[in-house]
Amino acid sequence: MQPATTSGYRRFSLKLLSVVISLNAKLTTIKLAACAGQTASAAPTGNVLFNGTITATCTVTINSNGTMTVSSNLQSLSSHNAGGSAGSAQVDTTGGVSLSVDPVTTTSVPASDTTATTWTPTFATSGAQTVAETGTATALTVPGTSTVAINLAGTTSGINRFSAGNYQATVTLRCE
Amino acid sequence: MRTIAILAAGLTAVLSPIAATSQSMTPMRGEMRSFTDAFAVRVSPGNPYNQRIRVEVHVYDQDFQPVDARITPSAFLLAGQASRPVLVVVPFDGANERKVRICTESIPFPSEQTQIRAQICGKFFGHRRF
Repeated sequence: MQPATTSGYRRFSLKLLSVVISLNAKLTTIKLAACAGQTASAAPTGNVLFNGTITATCTVTINSNGTMTVSSNLQSLSSHNAGGSAGSAQVDTTGGVSLSVDPVTTTSVPASDTTATTWTPTFATSGAQTVAETGTATALTVPGTSTVAINLAGTTSGINRFSAGNYQATVTLRCE
Repeated sequence: MRTIAILAAGLTAVLSPIAATSQSMTPMRGEMRSFTDAFAVRVSPGNPYNQRIRVEVHVYDQDFQPVDARITPSAFLLAGQASRPVLVVVPFDGANERKVRICTESIPFPSEQTQIRAQICGKFFGHRRF
C-alpha cells in the first residue's frame, strides 16, 4: 500500500504542478496581451488612402471581315444568305459606352450595276453582354469582352437585280 | 500667351484621367475650360493589333458633321501595341461652350467584300471663360 500511496502523492503533485504551470502560462499570456494592447495604443499610426478613377474605355479589334452572297432571286446581297459570313470584332470595355454601326456610304459595285441598292448594316454581341441583332446604337453597360458579329445586307427592288462582278462595302463599327 | 493657355487647357484634359496602354483611344470623356477662343484636348490613340496600322483622327460635332479643328498629327502609322499622343485644338466659333466628338479611325483590311472600319469616339465638352 505504501508504494501505491507514494505513487498517488507523486501523481497528485504532478497534477498540481501542471495546473500551476498552466495558470502561469495563462497569466503570462494575459500579461502579454495586455502589453501588446498598450504598445498598439501607444504607437503612432496613420492611414494611407488609395484612390483610383477609371474612365470609360473601349478597344475595338477587327477579327475578320464579312462575305456577302447573292440570293436566288438576285435581289439580296447579304452576309445572311447561304454561303455568306458575318464580320467579327472584339470589344473590350469598362462599360458606360455605346456601340453602333454607321449607314453605309462607301461602296464599290460593278460598272454594269446602275440600280439603286439599299444597304442595311446590323450587329449583335455575345460574351460579356448579349445584344440581339440590331441596327441602332446600344449601350454596353457590362464590363468585359464581347464578340461582335457585323452583318450587311444590300437589297434591290422591282425589276432591279444584282449583276455579275465585284461588290464591296465598308461598315463603320463605332464605340463611343 | 494664347498658345500657352491652349496648351495648359490641353494638359488639364490629359492629366485628369488615368491613361493606360493598349487602348484604342484614351481618354474618351473630358471637360475643358479655356480662356481663349479655342480649347485643346490631347488624346492617345492606341493600336491593339500586333501589326502596324494606319490611324486617322477626326473631329465631329454632335450631329457627326466635321469640325474644322487643328489635329496634330491627323493621320499616322502606329506600331503594334503602341500608342501616341495627338493634340486637337477645337475652336469655339463664337460660342461659349462646344461639344465635340474626337474619333480615332483605323483603316480596314483590304480585299474583302465587307470591310469593317473601327471607330472609337470620345465626347469632349469645352467651356469658355472670360
